[in-house]
Amino acid sequence: MWFQLLTGREQLLDRVLGDEPATPIFGQLLVVMVAGAALYGAALGSWHGAQLAAYDAFKLPLVLLLTSAFTVFFSWVVSRALGLSLQFSHVAILTFTGLATTAVLLASLTPIAWFFTWCAPIPDASARTTHNELYLFHTAFVAMCGVGGTHTLWRAMVRLPHPRRVVASAYVLWLLAYALVGGEMAWALRPFVGSVSLEHPLVFLREDALTGNVYEFIGTDIAPYLWSR
Amino acid sequence: MTGHNEILAVEPRGVVGTLDELLRRPMAGTERAQAGVSVRAWTIRVLAGSVACWGLYGAAGGFFQGGAQVAIAAAKAPIIMLATAALCVPSLYVFGLLAGASLTHRRLAVVLAGFLGLVGLVLVGLLPIGWLFSVSSTSLSFVVWLHLLLWGLALFFGGRFLSAALPEVPSGAVLLWLTLFCVVSFQVVTFMRPVLWRAPGAPVVEEGKLFFLDHFSAVQK
Repeated sequence: MWFQLLTGREQLLDRVLGDEPATPIFGQLLVVMVAGAALYGAALGSWHGAQLAAYDAFKLPLVLLLTSAFTVFFSWVVSRALGLSLQFSHVAILTFTGLATTAVLLASLTPIAWFFTWCAPIPDASARTTHNELYLFHTAFVAMCGVGGTHTLWRAMVRLPHPRRVVASAYVLWLLAYALVGGEMAWALRPFVGSVSLEHPLVFLREDALTGNVYEFIGTDIAPYLWSR
Repeated sequence: MTGHNEILAVEPRGVVGTLDELLRRPMAGTERAQAGVSVRAWTIRVLAGSVACWGLYGAAGGFFQGGAQVAIAAAKAPIIMLATAALCVPSLYVFGLLAGASLTHRRLAVVLAGFLGLVGLVLVGLLPIGWLFSVSSTSLSFVVWLHLLLWGLALFFGGRFLSAALPEVPSGAVLLWLTLFCVVSFQVVTFMRPVLWRAPGAPVVEEGKLFFLDHFSAVQK
């Protein structure tokens, strides 16, 4: 499946949108998604050592899985509302195809992510700037791969026998849902890079994981801070 | 068609001849690879020539301090390029395939060697300028900016080669990969620091981990 995503996407999309049983394709895409994201996750968490690397190798695939789980129903409703001829299983597999492509892209960037993380000064209270740089760097990488992954989704959707305007509307709405939910999932499952503050020891999940959300945090913390500078 | 057959039939011998061909007919190696001709020797010759080009350019940069730093910079420049390339190869392969290029391992090797070779050749072309400013400048900050400019110019030509060698890949994807290559090269330079200037008695490779942005800020001070 890994190589089919890279070299035989058109055949894969034929399978995805055809009458082939969905379960085997679904399983194969799941394996690729988990493997690719786990590889990148390990590099992402390695700044704080093996423990966070192991946590992140588990949590990054989880972010992708939960994002797809929380958006798939909405995506299906949108496709029905816009008149697209997609069954629920098609929507689910298309979502997984996009996320599996994202995971393959992440895996290809793992050597670079690992090198940057390895070159970063050790995480202590004085390394706040490094923490922020790493945070921005990984966010940019994951976002870039996410956009790259949805390119596969777009190529699949333009094959549908519907006006391009309708397909584009559905694509944009799916994308917005992924971005909105993906950002929040990553926030709820933090830490990924790992804090340098003693207030936040290394844990799998923070106790306040579901207290507040990332967009509130941006609105009440980051934006006012940047505004005041 | 005749030109194409000529390229396939006459493969230059020697490193200089191969680099000359790369400069005059950049797509010759790619065409041979696509025609199924063995390109292993060609790739090795281009890479060997590239290492020499980077070494020469590094030496020119080392003249900023002079003395042992000329040799040190000459040795570090090829290491920086090879390490950067090694870190970025997986992403070039995946970006290329996802963009729809039929990228075999052979074609990838030729494209990468061509890219690195062309970057090396442009750097050698810029070597007199790099040397002139290295021996005459007193400000480290200035020569850093100068090398950034020359590096950007070399990458521009490398990018043109990539676009031509991988026509299936959209220019946006090529630009994205080039940006990645550039940023990774900055971090590898930081890892291999100091390259241009070394304090008396300081080690050849400084210990301690540092982000390239912090390194750049420190150099500016």
